[in-house]
Amino acid sequence: MNIVIIGSSAAGLSCLNTLCKISPQANITIISAEKYPPYCRCLLTYYLGNAMPEQELTITKPADYPSNVQFILGQKAEHIDPQRKTVRLLDGRELGYDKLLIAVGADAIKPRYCAEGKRTFTLRYLDDAKKIAEATKGRAVVSGGGFIGIKTAYGLLGRNIKTNMVITSPYLLAMVLDETSARHLEKDITGMGIGIITGEDVIDIGLGNDELKVYLSSGRELETDVVVAGKGVKPSVDLAQASGIKVNEGISVNEFLETSAPDVFAAGDCCATMDLARNKLQAIGLWPTAMEEGYFAALNMSGAGARYPGSIGMNSLKTKAFHLISAGILKGEPGLTVYEKHIPSRKQFRKIAFRGDVPVGMAFYNCPEEAGLFVSLIKKALPLMVNPEKVVNGDVSISDIMKPL
Amino acid sequence: MKTVIVKPERCVGCHQCSFQCAVAHSTSKTSMGAISESILSKPRIRIYLSSGKENFPNKCRHCEPAPCEMACITKAIYRETKSGIVLLNQDRCINCGMCAMACPFAVVRYYPYILNREAAHKCDQCIDRQKEGKVPACVEACKAGALLFDEVNKKMDEDTEKLASLIYLGIRQRVQEPDTFSSLIAYKQQLNEIRRRQS
Repeated sequence: MNIVIIGSSAAGLSCLNTLCKISPQANITIISAEKYPPYCRCLLTYYLGNAMPEQELTITKPADYPSNVQFILGQKAEHIDPQRKTVRLLDGRELGYDKLLIAVGADAIKPRYCAEGKRTFTLRYLDDAKKIAEATKGRAVVSGGGFIGIKTAYGLLGRNIKTNMVITSPYLLAMVLDETSARHLEKDITGMGIGIITGEDVIDIGLGNDELKVYLSSGRELETDVVVAGKGVKPSVDLAQASGIKVNEGISVNEFLETSAPDVFAAGDCCATMDLARNKLQAIGLWPTAMEEGYFAALNMSGAGARYPGSIGMNSLKTKAFHLISAGILKGEPGLTVYEKHIPSRKQFRKIAFRGDVPVGMAFYNCPEEAGLFVSLIKKALPLMVNPEKVVNGDVSISDIMKPL
Repeated sequence: MKTVIVKPERCVGCHQCSFQCAVAHSTSKTSMGAISESILSKPRIRIYLSSGKENFPNKCRHCEPAPCEMACITKAIYRETKSGIVLLNQDRCINCGMCAMACPFAVVRYYPYILNREAAHKCDQCIDRQKEGKVPACVEACKAGALLFDEVNKKMDEDTEKLASLIYLGIRQRVQEPDTFSSLIAYKQQLNEIRRRQS
């Protein structure tokens, strides 16, 4: 069986590793648009912060795989022909497949002021990180207050760079947190030495003699060496669309991760799967989710018929000052009951949102221990059998939560 | 493949397993040495007390597929192919907190393990001790029979047979004499019930 995998990040590699285990006789070709050996994208902010050298970003070496696995690096797939079952590469080569996985991921959303000539970058690829590292001398502006924005700012801080964050919404992580929780976070982030400017947008960027001038919507001007835009990602669907594969929020897949074309599967950031907290199809751009989808795609390629249950939006943000784990939805839906408690002496807060008696969202600050348990409750839509007031106070034993399960 | 099997109903909550786990993962590997180290070694097994005062030893289940392994962005968490144990390379861990978010059993914790460096801590099924032919430290320490080191399937078969014979004996006994307490939990439940009725 010839298997072709397009994309060598989380979903692609997870699929490859699983296939190596369960179908060791298959001929597998993995195509990557990047010239570097497969590396982890989530580590780029750590690379920016000098916490990790370049060679440590590599998570797998092509040489470690058996001879039936072939890596094609630095080559883009240009077109898929689902009738003839071939993939055409940019250099004209054609690869035939029996099963195909599209795991091309997502692209960073580029605001219109983004231009390399103006030293304004997004952070998505290793090349981006290298360019940012090269262009910064002592000052930086990060536009966007999501997880990417905060992680980038924290990374730049590790390089001793004076960083300011410019955020359109009135507080940080406005997509996930509510105002009170975001204020705690903001206090800790400014405490580390990162400047935060809320309620403003970057209008334009001007090129000075040696520095960049960032014009904000209130008329304020900032001087900086480099601007990094962290405005989120959007599924990369161009390849699928050009090949006539159905696309909705991302590449459209069924619960077996099959696309509208026969024997073509999709996994990772590029495809829209079920968001279990929101109960709708959504592209969840997340490393653990992409790994899961890759695993399930590999099972289904081998004919196991495993249903992918779906995932939820979640993230973990850990710096030297705080550790925030959030998952699911905490606001933006009528009828949600939210329990929360802030414990200032321990610098903790816990917050859980319920739809009926089923938890659908959580944010735990500086108390990561039981977080995973609640993430799994949200994922499986299992009701919480203990008093939520006690849970947010932090005086409930996890055995009481686990016992009825 | 042998693994640590937990029987919560037999646990008496003595915390010997936690202590011996910390000792087994310390540099000196002796009780006296472990408590005098500058960075204290931490246990990978924890005992929780439920509201009904039942003890619950909680440790890594070494799931297959492992959610923490999938969530780990540096591939610091990996599965040893031979034994199937999920291991953690602390030198590669960047302390991002993803594994705590992914673990449905809440067994990953973050502690400093060398000077100025924190990393995730989880059970490694005492792989070093196993290579020396010993059983994991928590199992060796447990005197109540709450932690066993055995093949899961074999143990399940044994337990099924035991349960079947217990049921048979129970039926016979119930005919002959009034009910006795089959386990500590049954005893505690009986006590709780009496207390509830009294109040």
